[in-house]
Amino acid sequence: MKQALIIGCGNPLRGDDGLGWVVADRLSAVLTDPSVEIAWTHQLTPELAEQASRAELVVIVDASHAGHPGSWKCVGIEVSKTETSKLGHHLTPSGLLAYAAAVYNFTPRMLVVSVAGGSFDCKEALAPEVEAAVPEVVRHICEQIAVGCNKSRMTQVSLGA
Amino acid sequence: MSKQILIDPVTRIEGHSKITIQLDDAGEVRDAQFHVTQFRGFEKFCEGRPFTEMPSLTARTCGICPVSHLVASAKACDALMAVEIPPTAAKLRRIMNLAQLVQSHALSFFHLSSPDLLFGMDSDPAKRNIFGVVEAHPTLAKDGVMLRKIGQEIIALLGGKRIHPAWVVPGGVSEPLTAEKRDKILAMIPEAYAISHRTLAWYKDVLEQFRDEIRTFGNFPSMFMALVTPHTPGEHNAELEHYDGVMRFIDASGNIVVDQVDPAAYQDHISEAVEPFSYLKSPYYKALGYPKGIYRVGPLARLNVIDRCGTPQADQEWAEFRALRRGVILSSFHQHYARLVEILYGIERIEQLLNEPDILSSHVRAFAKPNKYEGVGVAEAPRGTLIHHYKIDENGLIIWANMIIATGHNNLAMNQSVKQVAQHYVKSASLQEGMLNRVEAVIRTYDPCLSCSTHALGRMPLLIELLGPSGEMLDQIKRDQ
Repeated sequence: MKQALIIGCGNPLRGDDGLGWVVADRLSAVLTDPSVEIAWTHQLTPELAEQASRAELVVIVDASHAGHPGSWKCVGIEVSKTETSKLGHHLTPSGLLAYAAAVYNFTPRMLVVSVAGGSFDCKEALAPEVEAAVPEVVRHICEQIAVGCNKSRMTQVSLGA
Repeated sequence: MSKQILIDPVTRIEGHSKITIQLDDAGEVRDAQFHVTQFRGFEKFCEGRPFTEMPSLTARTCGICPVSHLVASAKACDALMAVEIPPTAAKLRRIMNLAQLVQSHALSFFHLSSPDLLFGMDSDPAKRNIFGVVEAHPTLAKDGVMLRKIGQEIIALLGGKRIHPAWVVPGGVSEPLTAEKRDKILAMIPEAYAISHRTLAWYKDVLEQFRDEIRTFGNFPSMFMALVTPHTPGEHNAELEHYDGVMRFIDASGNIVVDQVDPAAYQDHISEAVEPFSYLKSPYYKALGYPKGIYRVGPLARLNVIDRCGTPQADQEWAEFRALRRGVILSSFHQHYARLVEILYGIERIEQLLNEPDILSSHVRAFAKPNKYEGVGVAEAPRGTLIHHYKIDENGLIIWANMIIATGHNNLAMNQSVKQVAQHYVKSASLQEGMLNRVEAVIRTYDPCLSCSTHALGRMPLLIELLGPSGEMLDQIKRDQ
């Protein structure tokens, strides 16, 4: 069983939408423990369910349209029964969790860290205020991994910036 | 008074679309249209970019099949540079393209279509989804995840973990394959074979339950087009070809219409029409004009145009597949079956290529500046033939780009398929679930990727509208994905 799976989600050619990849890049530089797996994805796809089922903790990092650019939050995700009929080429976080639970009979603890973006135009850089949030987000995820997955399965919410 | 049905959005496909079904005064289906409602823009915003950026730029057209765009785009760049890439590089690109085919077909068959195939078109929609499949047939569900994972892992081992690998580059690939990675891929092959054979056996068992759908799901005469291996005319030895080769068009009776077409000359045979009801263009076979020049691409077309697959296990399955009826297999319902045969072929070819003596060669890239102002790259993507065509200026900057995507080639066929299904199943001015699902399911047989074909980033909801003869709304079903 892996300790954690980090999924950086987004499109780095669309400005702040590349946030998930930037955070995943930074985490890959600081987390050298082989029990932490890092994935870079454009969107959540079904085969991630298998990887998720082998991890105690799954953290999805993505940009958001909601909020002041650079503000961020970390939300615990539960399996959603309403996700069962909505599967397509890609999944929502709760759909991915439901898929892992259904196919592999294991429900990892899942957190979604979303950072509000300001510009999703065609460019390869984050806005300064979004970039400024990255170190804090990275630190928060490292803390979540360090806390240990078995100690708490409670939904956690923390707000930054 | 005629009436119209609107299905909006269409579900379990990639992108945004809706379907309208027009009834006549007698309440019979007069016409049906598949509208793609997301806007196309990728070709335009590539203008002004260096041609060397095109593979990674166009790969972002789609999060589902980025590898197909990488391959076609890199081939177009090879043509601009006027280089012949090293043989090992071509083999490595070929492996990645086949891995993409395997994982994409797995997504279509297991995740999107298996609920219909397992439970039937009229079953309870609350159960008819992948979670219902997990409960009723856990092996099928797990096989789907695992096969897709194998395809993705092969791509990741070759190109890096990111979904848009920068490994496929103009002139070849950026790094050779290591023995360690080759062995890791080869170690996955036995499980892939087991899944492929298990699923083919299951599918052939349930196929008989869908006689009505086979008869009515896009079952009409049309041309078919795909790449095949270069071959000697008249010797019936054209094989499946997903990376290179020549274009072949056949008619609905299996007669070869044009053969050995250099893909760079695609414009001699294909034109694109524009309809006001859709952002998706409608390519057609030029010599027959629009819309008579309807043709289909994709797994069914590929298995129809060839003389054999070219690998032993797939050849055996292909012979059984082609025995479904005399002549060309016309029903688009058989796209599902064709996907399974192609998955087996893909696994066999990957294994063959990995065992070739030069597969670990370090000579994997040719370097050159642009030597031509125009380049075309063509490959078979999972959904059909993918064409990238670029023009550059003297500085190597893109001044014009055209991309014809598999889903676009199939636009006319999808419209005709929707009409056929609607005429068979829609019998009243209100929509019932089984009717709705069949109209959607015939679209899903093509596994359309509307994000690709309109070059937009998006999600896929569905709207079905039922309209009367004067255009008044009689019924509407709207679903978010």
